[in-house]
Amino acid sequence: MRAAPACVVFAACAVLLPGAASARASVSLDGGTVVFFSDTLALIARDGATLTLADGTRARADAAYIDLKTDRAVLAGHARVVRGSEAVSADAIALELDGDRVDLLDASTGVSHTTRRLGAATAAEFDAERFAFPDVDDRSAFIRSRHATITPHADVRFKPAAFPTSIGGLPVPSYLYTYATGAGFGATSLAGATFDQPYGLFGTQTSLTALHARWEDGPGPAVALQQQVVSGDDAYAAVSLDQPLRGYSVHGFNAYRRLGTRYSAEADASGTIYGTVMHGALTAAFGAAGGRMDYTRTTAGASSYTASLRTPDEPLPGGLTWRLTGSTGFDAQRGGLLFELPDAHNYSTVWRKGIDLFVATPVVRVPFGATLATTVDAARTWYAFPHTFDTLSATATASRAFSKKVTLFAGYQSTWSADIYPGTQTLFYPTPITPLLLPDGTPYYGYAAFTGARTFRSQNVDLQVTPDPNTAYRLSVVHTSDFPQFDGFGRPVWEVRGDVRFRPFPNIGLDVGRAYDFAWGGTRWQPRWSFAITP
Amino acid sequence: MSPAIVIIAAAAVSLFRIVPLACDGDRLIVAGAGVLRLADGVSCAGIVPGRAIAVALDDAGRATPQRLSSDALPTAKIPRTAYVLAPAVERDADETTLVTSTIDVLVPARTPPSDDIYLSTERTSWSPAEVRMDRVDARHFRLALRLHRGARVAFRVTRGSYGTTERDAARTLPPAHIAVGEPDAHITVVIPAWADID
Repeated sequence: MRAAPACVVFAACAVLLPGAASARASVSLDGGTVVFFSDTLALIARDGATLTLADGTRARADAAYIDLKTDRAVLAGHARVVRGSEAVSADAIALELDGDRVDLLDASTGVSHTTRRLGAATAAEFDAERFAFPDVDDRSAFIRSRHATITPHADVRFKPAAFPTSIGGLPVPSYLYTYATGAGFGATSLAGATFDQPYGLFGTQTSLTALHARWEDGPGPAVALQQQVVSGDDAYAAVSLDQPLRGYSVHGFNAYRRLGTRYSAEADASGTIYGTVMHGALTAAFGAAGGRMDYTRTTAGASSYTASLRTPDEPLPGGLTWRLTGSTGFDAQRGGLLFELPDAHNYSTVWRKGIDLFVATPVVRVPFGATLATTVDAARTWYAFPHTFDTLSATATASRAFSKKVTLFAGYQSTWSADIYPGTQTLFYPTPITPLLLPDGTPYYGYAAFTGARTFRSQNVDLQVTPDPNTAYRLSVVHTSDFPQFDGFGRPVWEVRGDVRFRPFPNIGLDVGRAYDFAWGGTRWQPRWSFAITP
Repeated sequence: MSPAIVIIAAAAVSLFRIVPLACDGDRLIVAGAGVLRLADGVSCAGIVPGRAIAVALDDAGRATPQRLSSDALPTAKIPRTAYVLAPAVERDADETTLVTSTIDVLVPARTPPSDDIYLSTERTSWSPAEVRMDRVDARHFRLALRLHRGARVAFRVTRGSYGTTERDAARTLPPAHIAVGEPDAHITVVIPAWADID
């Protein structure tokens, strides 16, 4: 990334994240075994548990339970808490990781409480909830370890960590599990990938540094490094470096900040050896209506700006809704935007305005026990140069449930679009002198009929079977009928896809997809995989 | 009903699943904070704090450790007469059981009809395509999550990438939704807009 964009990135980080706080002190938990459950956020140490708090408080017991949702710990069996020269003992002790309260439960003396200074305990009203110790099955734990370091409300680092399955556990020397819920922890400045498994390196309540093992469509295997800085749900910034094992690296940046209840600002950038693309946006809500401004700029000298306003989704008879969106903006290119023209340099910036009408039906019941939903979208864009761009789209999706476990879906999507240049159509869409040659060398004579109007049509049928909550099968067949489209040019005519989601182990689920494009571009079929691991 | 069946039934209803917090002489302290008396002549030896066992109660409310069986009643069902110090909490601390939590997602009409809908949770560091939801109809998706009882899973809805994450009515990032691990738990999420589709 060049110096100027990099400065913009760091300036944006500074502006966007005023609320990023420093990390809180950590808590460590040791035991003969430490098991962790990702859905209940429960940590349980057995066979001699030791808890060490940031203020120097140390606790020992036969077993310990930490509820990461409430930052509460229960020490069970021969429990003893020591801080400096003070110490308390009881059959069970409950304490707060962040708070001051310490509750003691002892068969001989009853219930009492003290503080983290461990002064004299006083008799207390019984709060049974504070001593609740969950009954768990260690075999369904997500992680098994011997040492856990907790940053409250942020993450847990396990050393070592094993992911137990019925056929053994996959061990790693260290694993950082982030359970912070701030929206920015889900943000990424990395491009999409077929597979992306993050591995946390360092984390705090407001930041995460993670290594990503990726499989990218095209380059194949890749390793990426990403830094996220987060301020709750209100702001974040993410910076990444993606390095495929074969291919060029990609730098990424992404940031967001909420500006009150009605406005939000976003910025992102992506840089490769070919240049950098930067984008900024501002969104606004006016009741149910809204507006948005987008500005994009590239280091190759291109830029575009769009400001749009939309109405709310207004009702029509029969449950239909409509929405109108109006926009204005410009497209610009250093040296000339309309390069087909001999005087292209006179058109380095071309303004435009547009209008879009969207109408949707509700999901309605139709014969044969099926449901149907349709949409229609019509848009026209006028340019300052004699040029209009029209699109007309329609979709229809039907579903028919044969039982609670078997459902059939059918869909139809069609989009027609046309570039219209009054008086200069042949300049922008000239008839080819020689036939277009396709990837396998086949000439595409029909391409000569393409003069700016395109059609995309697709029909799909999906069969979905869900025998139980952990298992789902789906088989999809998609047929496309476009123009221009021919033997490797455009979308494949036939695609078949199968997906299965299943849970081979109690704590690990898999989602595997396989797709085939048939008889396209000189190949009999072109397979693609998709793969995801679920806790 | 024959006497044998009556005895078996009585034994079955007197078995309770508990998690010992501590064992001390003739006292057995259990999760939920009740303190049970052990029956005369019964030792606490071999009972591991923090690991569930079953107990049977006699008429005097004294507990005898038993082998754990799947049909043991939860701690919260232990009668008050069995306690020395205080009753158990109403919330059953049994987290061994898996319960089904159903999430329904209603997507806006502008959602591309061929797109899949995914849940993104903290369990995978917010992977945007963590779990693919099942389609119910054109704008309705559903997922039945199997969670441990007591679970509390924060989630967001995406179309498979971070750039397609849900937005609220003001087009800002909403706080995470929560799916809870309680029997027949159900949450319906209405998505007003997506990050890439205003």
